[in-house]
Amino acid sequence: MTPLADIRDLVISYRTDGGALQALDGADLNLVPGETVAVVGESGSGKSTLGMAIGRLLPDEADCEGGTLRVLGTDVLAADADSLRRLRRDTLGFVFQNPMSALDPTMRVGKQVARAMGDRPSREEVEALLRRAELSDPGRVLRAYPHELSGGMAQRVVIAMAIARRPALLIADEPTASLDASIREKIMATLNRLRDETGATLVVLSHDLRLIARHSDRLAVMYGGRVVEAGGVETVLETPAHPYTAALLSAAAGSERPGERLEPIPGTPPSLLGRCEACAFAPRCALARDRCHDERPEPREIAGRRVICHFAEEALAAPGSERRA
Amino acid sequence: MPQTPVIDLEDISVTFRRRLIGGDAVQAVRGVSLSIAPGETLGLVGESGSGKTTLGRVCLGLLRPTGGAMRFEGQDFGRLRQRRGQLSVVLQHPEWALNPRLRCGVSVAEPLKILGTPVAKRREAVARMLDQVGLSPEFADRYPGQLSGGQRQRVAIARALITEPRFILFDEAVSALDVSVQAQVLNLIVDLQAKLGFAALFISHDMAATRYVCHRIAVMLKGEIVESAAAETFYGTPEHPYSRALMEAVA
Repeated sequence: MTPLADIRDLVISYRTDGGALQALDGADLNLVPGETVAVVGESGSGKSTLGMAIGRLLPDEADCEGGTLRVLGTDVLAADADSLRRLRRDTLGFVFQNPMSALDPTMRVGKQVARAMGDRPSREEVEALLRRAELSDPGRVLRAYPHELSGGMAQRVVIAMAIARRPALLIADEPTASLDASIREKIMATLNRLRDETGATLVVLSHDLRLIARHSDRLAVMYGGRVVEAGGVETVLETPAHPYTAALLSAAAGSERPGERLEPIPGTPPSLLGRCEACAFAPRCALARDRCHDERPEPREIAGRRVICHFAEEALAAPGSERRA
Repeated sequence: MPQTPVIDLEDISVTFRRRLIGGDAVQAVRGVSLSIAPGETLGLVGESGSGKTTLGRVCLGLLRPTGGAMRFEGQDFGRLRQRRGQLSVVLQHPEWALNPRLRCGVSVAEPLKILGTPVAKRREAVARMLDQVGLSPEFADRYPGQLSGGQRQRVAIARALITEPRFILFDEAVSALDVSVQAQVLNLIVDLQAKLGFAALFISHDMAATRYVCHRIAVMLKGEIVESAAAETFYGTPEHPYSRALMEAVA
């Protein structure tokens, strides 16, 4: 199948007062049509940078230092203003974390949604779109200002705007982080239903491993600006091959038995000042040895997934790796 | 013999009036009774708008309940001023809770300053407290902006604990943190409580984190507590349908 998006060895850094800060250090990701891919990682792992890079929505301080990023054959990083606009308008849809800051507070919801649809849609068409995003009373929502909506409703409006032009690729950056636990499930279900209806690919960026795992086909775990493990959700979660994935799973509350203690990951995530010539996770890894500190691991295919670790076979065999999420 | 509960709420209700629009009343909390013993953590879960935070404000004495009685260590709550240093709070966003222009050490020492503790003693207490929350003493000289989210939350916890309060409210204290940092802070709360024996109310909408740190959990729905049971119950099947709905987000 032709890939919808193909990201290879992408390196992106931000210019800061303290020198360049490397956000992506050779990230690889492949998206095929019709799947839901969860990109999981801690803050600073580069997942938002990766998501925004797909639409070239990065701030001016961001520099691309290497790698390629193609969406439907278009080289996004080299595209001129016209084709970039066409790509953003017709191919991509974005849903951001905070719906309140994604909507214009001074404009009625109906007008904003109509603008996202283009072509001067009729009131019925706007209502139909809102209904597709599972808003139960579209007539009222149309007339409302964003502050009159609850967080969950506002996020549904943002989703409606994102799917207005039937994008082939829908990117949701922490779509549920600012919402209640009880609504999170429903929003994820809505996103997946819309994906099924339109045949789009859904990319969800999140740090909530558990929530996202239930609603995804494929999982990409990010650490230190690279995708350290990518594969089918069940494959990766049931038998993690990267020590970081395993550590992340045992740190999350929810899988422990009563009275059992959670195992936090020791140390802190790295902030990279340049290309990492070792394994970025080595300082916090229980399996690390000299080779991990000296040699940059390259992607390998092991047990049905891609992983970046010198000792992935050992991580697979390690006790506790059979832990279920 | 049973210990005197630190917090004892009896049939508490809180009604807000919307004066602008004809004065219709919103019952945020309806007839809630609960008590928290020393060294015990009570979890309070429920969706937003269920009255969790309102109930937390009542426990801190920041909000006078419209009805019902509240006792603190067996006595009438009295004036807030009398309770200085006895209760404390840790909030969701450490970056908003700490003054960005004050060095962390100054922020942590502030509650003691208000109680009138001499400078030398304050400095000693700050160093000890930072050590207890797992930060080295140099952190006293840093600004909150130079710290990561987890470190900032540790500073906020150090400040909350420095007066050795009898009761601490954790209002969504780990919700803004990353998974791995969340585990560190949850473990810290468990360890500090075992050492210091304070009573705690842990407000959250995250069932997984709540059942991990709490001894008992109360589930709130529309201002009422619909189920209150030992935390172990929430590893199995709780009784109330709403609790089960919350559980689905964990399993």
